[in-house]
This record gives sequence, structure tokens and C-alpha cells, in this order.
Amino acid sequence: MSGNVLVRAARREMHSPRTVAAVIVAILVIAVAAYLALEMILHLAAQEPLLVSPGELAQRAVELPQAGSVAAVVAVAALAAVIGIVLVVLAVAPGRRARHAIQVSAGTVVVDNEVIASALAERVRRELNLPRGAVVVGVGHRTADVTITPEAGQRIEAAEVKALVADELSGYDADRSLKIRSRIATASSRGGRR
Amino acid sequence: MNNTNRGVNRTILLVTGLVLIVGGAAAILARTWREAGDVWSSALTSSVEALQRLDTASLLPGLTQTSWLGIGIAAVLIAVAVVAVVVLARLGGGAGHAVLTSDAERGARDAIVIEQGFASDALSQTLERREEILSARVRARRIRGTDVMHVIVTPRKNTSPAEVATTVGALIANLETLVGRDLPTLVSIKSGIRSRLASDQSRAA
Repeated sequence: MSGNVLVRAARREMHSPRTVAAVIVAILVIAVAAYLALEMILHLAAQEPLLVSPGELAQRAVELPQAGSVAAVVAVAALAAVIGIVLVVLAVAPGRRARHAIQVSAGTVVVDNEVIASALAERVRRELNLPRGAVVVGVGHRTADVTITPEAGQRIEAAEVKALVADELSGYDADRSLKIRSRIATASSRGGRR
Repeated sequence: MNNTNRGVNRTILLVTGLVLIVGGAAAILARTWREAGDVWSSALTSSVEALQRLDTASLLPGLTQTSWLGIGIAAVLIAVAVVAVVVLARLGGGAGHAVLTSDAERGARDAIVIEQGFASDALSQTLERREEILSARVRARRIRGTDVMHVIVTPRKNTSPAEVATTVGALIANLETLVGRDLPTLVSIKSGIRSRLASDQSRAA
């Protein structure tokens, strides 16, 4: 039972809750609904409207095809549609955070990609005896990109790097296996010589 | 991590997004394409007329502007605003105070509550004393009625997450032995500004 709860907790840690977008939308909805309700109540109480009375608002909506300049109407409407598309994408896209779940003795562990990248870089750097900064690693949802800039005269095989990274990753048992891409940059690109 | 209902968040975004897309697209068509504009005008004219008829029919006795229809519309708008406020108010939360609550099975003697502070003292102080760990926090969470301990660790740069996880796991196992209960635990290993700024090793090797 607690296993289910932890799976749930880990999943929550790995996906964006979309709270910021939802808060902004909710505040705007409150503002619009409250304003319209206020105009309605003013109309019911036979008071002067703040900006437009409900009846006038409806009339303007009816007359939209003849209203204002084409450019202005289209611009506003297009902006609304684009915001709508962004919101739908936010609602439907998984919103994965840059994290991986790994299985170690501690049970459910969620690790930032950056932590994995820096650990991989350190392992490769140490095993291949490279200077600090010679190994750059990027970890994404599916891939680990390793770029090595060896010192002049040093020969490094991409396959060797791949094996090292695979070995380090096998110790993590990540939720999805990472595809390793290794690239050896030319030595001369370091140290200012071109 | 908190108890924010993500389904609600996404539903709000989806519904608002669809309304904006449909409204925007319809307005563009109505203003740029004559036939669509005619459809827009006739559809809205007939619905506005229907509303006006309903408005006059539901007027309160003796009044000229106050109708049940108007009251109803105002009520619906207020309800929408209230629902949005409730959604906002319910965001966040889910922070518990105890990492373990065990009800008494036989008399009062078996009742155990382990407060967040206790677990936090036991774990984070031990962890922070370690060389490779920059900071450690413990939070109690309640997820679907179950207490979950959330350990958030920021290790020094270039530390293997597997190593950190093993260290944390050993400490949790100790704590579990101490209290004699399983503690469901989620461990987060984070990178942050501190881990980026701190040197790889605190001392030169």
C-alpha cells in the first residue's frame, strides 16, 4: 500500500503541477466573472453601469462583424486564440520536469538531471584522467550526451567513454534507460589555438 | 510537492483554453468572412431576442429592470467567481506534521506519532555533517491519507546520486529500526545554486 503512495509521490515530483498557469487563469476568471456580475447587479438595481450595461454588451457582440477596423478585431481575437492554444498545450502536455527516478536501496529516489550529469562527468573525467572542465555532460529525458575535449596528444575512444557512462548509469537503475551519445571534440579547440 | 489537485489545474487550463480558441476563431471568421459574419449576427440576434423575451417575462412585479433572469445570470457569474476562489484557496497544502501516525491497537500504549521535527533532527543533522552533502531537509507529507516522509538532499557537485541515495537509505533504515515501523520515504536529490557554487571538494585532493 505504501508502495502505491510512493509511486504517486514520485510521479508528482516528476511532473509540473501547472500551478502558476492555473493561478493566473483563475485570477483572470474571478476578475471577469466578478466584473460581469457587478454590471448585472447594477442593471438589476436600475443604477448607471460602470462601463457598459449587459444589454449594450450583448448588442456589441451582435454587431461584431461590422465593428471597428478589421485589423483590430482580428488582432484581439487572434491573441485570444493563441493564448487559448498555449493553455490547451499546457493542459495536455505531460510537463515532465528535468528529473529521473532511480531505484537504489533507499526506495523511491527522484534525482535532478543535473546531479546525474555532474556525477557522470566526474566519473568519466577521473577514469580517463582528464583535466577539470574537459568533460561536458547533458542529461535529458531519454539521452545522456557526453562531449570530451582531450588534451593535445591524448587519444580517447568514444566507445570507451560510452562503456564508462553505461557502467555508471547501471548503478542508478533509472526509470527509463538513457541513450548514451559520446562525442570527442578535437584537441585543438581547447587552449586558444585554432 | 504538495496536495494541489493537478487534475483540477489542468481542467481549468483546458476549458479556458478551448473557450479562448473557439471564441477567437469565431470572432476572426465573423469579422473577415461575410457569410460567417451573417451567421454570427443572426445566431446572436435570435439568442439576444430570446433572452430579452425571457427577461420581460420574468420581471419582478412592479419593477422595470429587475428580472429573475438577471438575478439568475448574476448568481451564475458569482458562483463561477466563488468556484475560482475556492480552487485558488485549495492550492498547495498537503504538508503534514507527522512522518508517522500509528493508532493504538491495544490500549493507549501503542499509539505512536513521530513529528516532522524529530525525523528532521535525526536525519538532516547527520546528513549535513557529511562531507558530500550541502543541505538536507525533511518534510512530512500526507498523500491520500498516508504519512510520507520526504527527504530533500542537495549534494556537492560531482557526487554520485547512487551514493547519496545509499547513505540516506541507511539512515532511514536506522530510523525505522529505532521506531520499529516502516516509514514510507521519498528521497529527492536536487541540484541548486548552492551545489553549483560550492567547490567540487571542500578540500584539495
